[in-house]
Amino acid sequence: MSPITGPRPIGARRAVLLLIAATAVWAFVRLLAGSSPALPDASMISGVVEFVSGAAHPALAYESASVPRGAPPLLVKAMLAARTTVVYAAAAMSLALVVGAMLGFFASTAWWSADITGAGGRLAATLRHGPGAAVYASARVLIAAMRSVHELLWAVFFLAAFGLTGVAVVVAIAIPFGATLAKVFSELIDEAPRDAAAALAAAGAGPVQVYLFGLVPRALPDMGAYALYRFECALRSSAVLGFFGPETLGKFIKQSWNENHYGEVWTYLYTLFALIALADWWSGAMRRRFVA
Amino acid sequence: MIDRLEHVRSLQLDRPRSRFLRWSMAALVALMVAAWGSSELSFEDAFSARRRANAARFLGEIVPYPLQGRPFDATVAVDWGRDRLEDASGAVGTTLAISVAAAVLAALAGLLLAVPAARNLASPEALVDATAAPSFAARAAWAALVATVRAFMIFVRSVPEYIWAFLLVQLLGFDAWPAVFALALHNTGILGKLTAETLEDADQSPARALRALGATRTQAVITALAPQILPRFLLYFFYRWETCLREATVLGMLGVVSLGSLVRDARVSNFYDEMVLYVAIAAALVLAGDLLSAAARAIVRRAS
Repeated sequence: MSPITGPRPIGARRAVLLLIAATAVWAFVRLLAGSSPALPDASMISGVVEFVSGAAHPALAYESASVPRGAPPLLVKAMLAARTTVVYAAAAMSLALVVGAMLGFFASTAWWSADITGAGGRLAATLRHGPGAAVYASARVLIAAMRSVHELLWAVFFLAAFGLTGVAVVVAIAIPFGATLAKVFSELIDEAPRDAAAALAAAGAGPVQVYLFGLVPRALPDMGAYALYRFECALRSSAVLGFFGPETLGKFIKQSWNENHYGEVWTYLYTLFALIALADWWSGAMRRRFVA
Repeated sequence: MIDRLEHVRSLQLDRPRSRFLRWSMAALVALMVAAWGSSELSFEDAFSARRRANAARFLGEIVPYPLQGRPFDATVAVDWGRDRLEDASGAVGTTLAISVAAAVLAALAGLLLAVPAARNLASPEALVDATAAPSFAARAAWAALVATVRAFMIFVRSVPEYIWAFLLVQLLGFDAWPAVFALALHNTGILGKLTAETLEDADQSPARALRALGATRTQAVITALAPQILPRFLLYFFYRWETCLREATVLGMLGVVSLGSLVRDARVSNFYDEMVLYVAIAAALVLAGDLLSAAARAIVRRAS
């Protein structure tokens, strides 16, 4: 038995780690060259302490001396902002699901693969050699283009073009979210086990039936789980868009901050946290029952 | 024939059903329908004549400034584009650096926090066969630790990165570092949770064997569990880095010099042509990051 001699090649994992470390060094050097993480001076520290200590006692009523007449109580206002956040997120998700389902179909390889359309049929041949790959490629390019613009940037774009409307906010969130859903849906459909589809095809079902009843149900639990996760992300994005005008939680966080009412800021932060925690719990409960 | 139909029917009747799931799905659909009916989403306002005029004017303004109102000239457009790219190159580098620094910090912090959050590791008799039942106080203390770390991670990841960045930039100054810390904070919650779950799902037997031979908890984790979870951890890392890059492009809108600040400056000056170009540059950066991340994840998957 000869011992292993000679230099060992660097494994792929180690190479990846080295790459990450090297890039990290570059990143820190570059950022430090711009400015060092300022050793906080006294005023900064007191500001941070003042803000963080507000966590223990969020405001339950307005903190300013003069409250405009007819303004709802603070907690009601927080609830209304939460409601608006949910409205925008839900509308955006409804659009995103439609877009995701359609684009996801075209961006998957399943609908023109031999397993589904039957290896020998004319339909399969025409799809594979003709439009199949072209449609797939254009769908992927479209998805990439839609995804790479952040929803905030879409929102800035639409707000500049159309002004402040709810539809602009919803579409701004729906575009990248729909594209992300399409990408994940297409991957889940492609990776789903094809045992049921094969059984249906062997029993003589047509391509559409094989796809709809054999392939999609196998991927549906994972698709549903991811869609629920996306809904949670939509809630967060909807809250953040409030910084640009819509009356979601972000707007009031910014307003209260600018008035130095840290208690109110924490109230809105806790409302957002409660909203996300509720969505997280609900989607977890649903996901457990998907698998069952 | 009748038997087979009855068999299929009985299979259908016996399938697992959940009333909670049905009601939840119905509620979600109702929520989405109701959302469209609510007052914030009025279509008449969205597509009124004034807004359409606005949009038409906007489309005219995103043409590069030197070309507005004149016939299209490719060289002028390219020159204008090249000037903007030069202006943007610093911002591109800063955006990239912010994303990498934040992702790495989040990975280290998440890894550290994952151990006290993993229920198989943060317990009185971790990775050993209990000889005597641990005291109630010991179990309660460990359970409290797990709960606290997990609650911290949930809170930190439920506040969006942009809001953390807003708070930290306001508190610590208009600098790249508050943005880095904000991104890192949010992603620590995410990576910590994912790593804790991976630690819990990993094969415990090598670690248990080492503990039985006398290794401490730390030694067992470092030598037996960490190598197992490394591939999955790298996958999560690259996935989060992609998202960090996306977020870093917009965090500039808070004042940090990244692509987002260029977008914001162009917007407030009404230079919509530059704004659209910077958005396109940001998109190209994110796209490149996506491809890089996908390639890296493929390498890691193949190697494990």
